[in-house]
Amino acid sequence: MKISPDKLVEDNQNKEIPFYFNGKLLKAKQGQTIAAALMANGICKFGVSRKLQQPRGLFCANGRCCSCFVSVNGLDHVLSCMTQVEAGANISSNEGDPNVRREVNEN
Amino acid sequence: MKTDLFIIGGGPAGLHAASVAATYGIETMIVDESFSLGGQLRQQTQQLRNLPKSFKTQTGTALAKQMIEKLRQLDVTKLVKHTMIGTYQDGRIGVTDGHRTIPISANKIIVATGAAEEACAFPGWTLPGVMTVGAAQILLNREYVRPGKNALILGSNNFALQVAKQLAEGGVNVKGIIENKERMEGNETETIDQLQKIGVPLYFNSTIQRAFGREKVEKVILNHGHKALEMDVDLICIGKGLSPILEPFEILDCHFTYEQALGGWLPVYSLSMQTSNPSVYVAGNAAGITDMGAILLTAEIAAVSIAESLECVNNADADKTRKLLWQELEQIESESFKRTFQARANVVKRFQEETDLSQVNGQ
Repeated sequence: MKISPDKLVEDNQNKEIPFYFNGKLLKAKQGQTIAAALMANGICKFGVSRKLQQPRGLFCANGRCCSCFVSVNGLDHVLSCMTQVEAGANISSNEGDPNVRREVNEN
Repeated sequence: MKTDLFIIGGGPAGLHAASVAATYGIETMIVDESFSLGGQLRQQTQQLRNLPKSFKTQTGTALAKQMIEKLRQLDVTKLVKHTMIGTYQDGRIGVTDGHRTIPISANKIIVATGAAEEACAFPGWTLPGVMTVGAAQILLNREYVRPGKNALILGSNNFALQVAKQLAEGGVNVKGIIENKERMEGNETETIDQLQKIGVPLYFNSTIQRAFGREKVEKVILNHGHKALEMDVDLICIGKGLSPILEPFEILDCHFTYEQALGGWLPVYSLSMQTSNPSVYVAGNAAGITDMGAILLTAEIAAVSIAESLECVNNADADKTRKLLWQELEQIESESFKRTFQARANVVKRFQEETDLSQVNGQ
């Protein structure tokens, strides 16, 4: 989706779009961030902390605190508060640190 | 890419600086890491008080629209979803969209990164449902999502009070405002009156002992005087103030100073809003936490001064404009929190002292 910098968010919030969270089909308003769409669906826990696996969710909503990480279409550690939902997006909760050495260790 | 002026941050300060600079005929580029311009104005549905004379009283969202519309008619390159992540050895700035990094060479830079909210740690503060007041305001006013049903506000500065009021009006049951001091920090009587009318209880001399919950916050225990109070809440909003966002100044080798009344550490700057790095200027909350009026005025001062140094306006005219802007800035800031303007004067004085010293040392 091409984003025009001249558009404010509120301009396109009428259309509903589908997306998946941990395999479950949910609806978002177009233009909504992933974090907001999850909370609108009653989901506050977006993932767990890296060491003690404690629940984490939206905290600053401004892309600074990194508490709201999710995985989007296979890409880990996406800031859900700074990313708008795209139709059909496959989003899953952040289960700690991604395995960045996936290819090396694959066997 | 190449530009005369590169502005980091597309909030009120960045947008206003861009439009003033472009009006002087300066080739301008503005970058923001969000998916749209407007910054924190995008969720400020309240009427903005104390705006500069050249602005009419309006809401933050209306102001954002107006400024973005103005930029559309000017020669300004807008880059959203891009973050400034560093500089190259030759001085060019690197901005990235997460996939590729673009080098940008600019004659002058304005850093208008704004402010970040302070956190406040208590046992349970990392639970989902505990968020900053700014986050709650974004959900409510920009994303049209109610952040919770039963809320507690921690902090009583003007921003916290404003969001408490907006949450209550938006159908959230605001169960209380917690302040650890013995009186309110904020001074906006209109908001305070409205909160009283709604019937939001204020807990002075109080702190949060602990927040509980399995997957999200469900319960909180307060220390209220000598008593412990228990409340069922699913939302705790932390409103403990703001501090300037400084990373770009660090990357750009700017000198720093400390002023508590301006939100803590910030770059030293001159009456032209120029930092210790001569090609870098500062505007808005990054130059010290303040009101919207002062955010816009500092942006205008920076833009006029850059126009002067790029010879788009003569020194006499720039000087005259700058003096008027500083007078208005003093007037606006002294009306709300007098300490803010005094602290700002200290920052400018320190910049001058540094400059004098480096001349003595022959640097």
